[in-house]
Amino acid sequence: MPRLKLLSGLLIIAAACLCAAAAPLIAGYDPTQTSLQSLDPPSSAHWLGTDELGRDILSRVVYGARISLTVGIGAALVATSIGVPLGLCAGYLGGKADLAVVQIVDLFIALPGLVLALIITAMVGPSLKNLVLVLGFVMWPPVARMVRGQTLAVRESVFVEAARAVGGGAGWIIRRHIWPNVLHVAAAQFAVTIAFAIFTSSSLSFLGLGVPPPTPDWGGMVRGGFDYLIVNPAMSLAPGVAVAITVAGFYLLGSREA
Amino acid sequence: MLTLVVRRLLLAAPNLVLISALLFFSVSGLLGSPAGLMLGQDASPEAIAALNARMGFDRPLSMQYLSWIGGALTGDLGRSYTMQESVLSLLLPRIPITAELAFLAILVATLSATVINSVTVARGLIRPAAALLGIAGITVPNFMLGISLIFLFSVKLGWLPTTGWSPWSDGVLEHVRHLLLPVLTLSAFYFGSFSLVYRAEYEAVRRQLYVRVARAKGLSETAVSFKHVLPNSILPVITYIGITLGQLTGGAVVTETVFSVPGTGSLFVSAILARDYPVMLAISMLIIVGVALMNLLADLLYTVANPRIRLA
Repeated sequence: MPRLKLLSGLLIIAAACLCAAAAPLIAGYDPTQTSLQSLDPPSSAHWLGTDELGRDILSRVVYGARISLTVGIGAALVATSIGVPLGLCAGYLGGKADLAVVQIVDLFIALPGLVLALIITAMVGPSLKNLVLVLGFVMWPPVARMVRGQTLAVRESVFVEAARAVGGGAGWIIRRHIWPNVLHVAAAQFAVTIAFAIFTSSSLSFLGLGVPPPTPDWGGMVRGGFDYLIVNPAMSLAPGVAVAITVAGFYLLGSREA
Repeated sequence: MLTLVVRRLLLAAPNLVLISALLFFSVSGLLGSPAGLMLGQDASPEAIAALNARMGFDRPLSMQYLSWIGGALTGDLGRSYTMQESVLSLLLPRIPITAELAFLAILVATLSATVINSVTVARGLIRPAAALLGIAGITVPNFMLGISLIFLFSVKLGWLPTTGWSPWSDGVLEHVRHLLLPVLTLSAFYFGSFSLVYRAEYEAVRRQLYVRVARAKGLSETAVSFKHVLPNSILPVITYIGITLGQLTGGAVVTETVFSVPGTGSLFVSAILARDYPVMLAISMLIIVGVALMNLLADLLYTVANPRIRLA
């Protein structure tokens, strides 16, 4: 079962990356090219039909992988680069540093990620760069908490005690002895963070605070297609399925519980 | 019990003050003068200055914060900038709607997660199906699930209304028909995460000695599962409800928007898009206070579900 989970996760991620990298080859049309054939049903020329501006839906879904992966991976990088050092320091140093980090993490937990992201995005304005930064900023507390927990466990190991006994400084011990034993937790959390960054960013776009149009963005496409659900359901459902599958891919790769 | 409640409330107070200050200063600092937003782009600087003076926006931010929090504590949350109404009168009729939605979603998620994962008949079939359903619940975004359900039950089958809300006064049946899909949508994520927590505990409890004794007495597998294992495995789920309540409000924001439910969440989205920050601030604070109170409630429920635990 765990193997199957990992394998299906990897397969989905590979497919998403392929779509993002080779979008011009896979998509038959320019994703922003409008035409007069608006709201066409699926046909051999347009497999999923066209949207209200005559753009090919399949091409837009394929190109949408670029935005989602950029936001997801970018936000996870930001969250990791804040959360990992803080988690390591809090866990290893303990005392006041630990108390401060735990306090801040608890503060964040009071406000849900999506709500916080909505407020901040409304203030700084939606753009690709801002989305990456905002989501990264919102998502670092769980990373810090995971890394702190693992660090606490590793800190009590005999080899860390030995390293301290030979006179190693805190920085050296964290780098050489703690980090290699925390890495697997941080890596798994990295994948889960990507999953929830894509999840949250698509929800933001759905609510109208995503990457501005005409950039093909899955959440925004679902919102746009909602009004035409009776005419061409693929307009809304296809990008929605793409979000769900991509999120599931990263989640399956990173989650230890599922 | 009472001392516990009082102590927890006192502990939460400094955090609430801190968060409210952070929210207030960042929102008002980054958005700039609300007078400019209220009068539109063509307003003259004199008109903006006059409105600033009249509404008190020209005072230092710290003074504005103090008067805002003073007002909030006495039940005056200010006036909405875009809808000419007081924030309180906007919020009050919407809170019960969101609360009902959230409560039912948690109830449905808890019941389905515990019951489905306790079924002993055809275990080999139900277990993997429940696990798959759980992963789908966690990874399919609310808006996608909501739209898919609308497409299936409203557009294709025509059984349920597409969107909208019907109050109790329109009759119970109408109310439930409008409520069904939003509750289902909101509960999916919690079904998934509660299942994970519950399954782990269930497997641990199943190996306990008293469960073996129950089986040795000749009880059927179903009776063992529902009478002995379930009540002892539900505790972590209750704790988890408290932890996930914060996220629930995020889910409610999306779900209410999809189904055009006139609750607090959809008001929050329109306030954010219109930069109506008295409403934004009020709802944010409502969420924070609500989550803190619900966490306390979850702790109290914990003692009810397991009398062995006494909270000090």
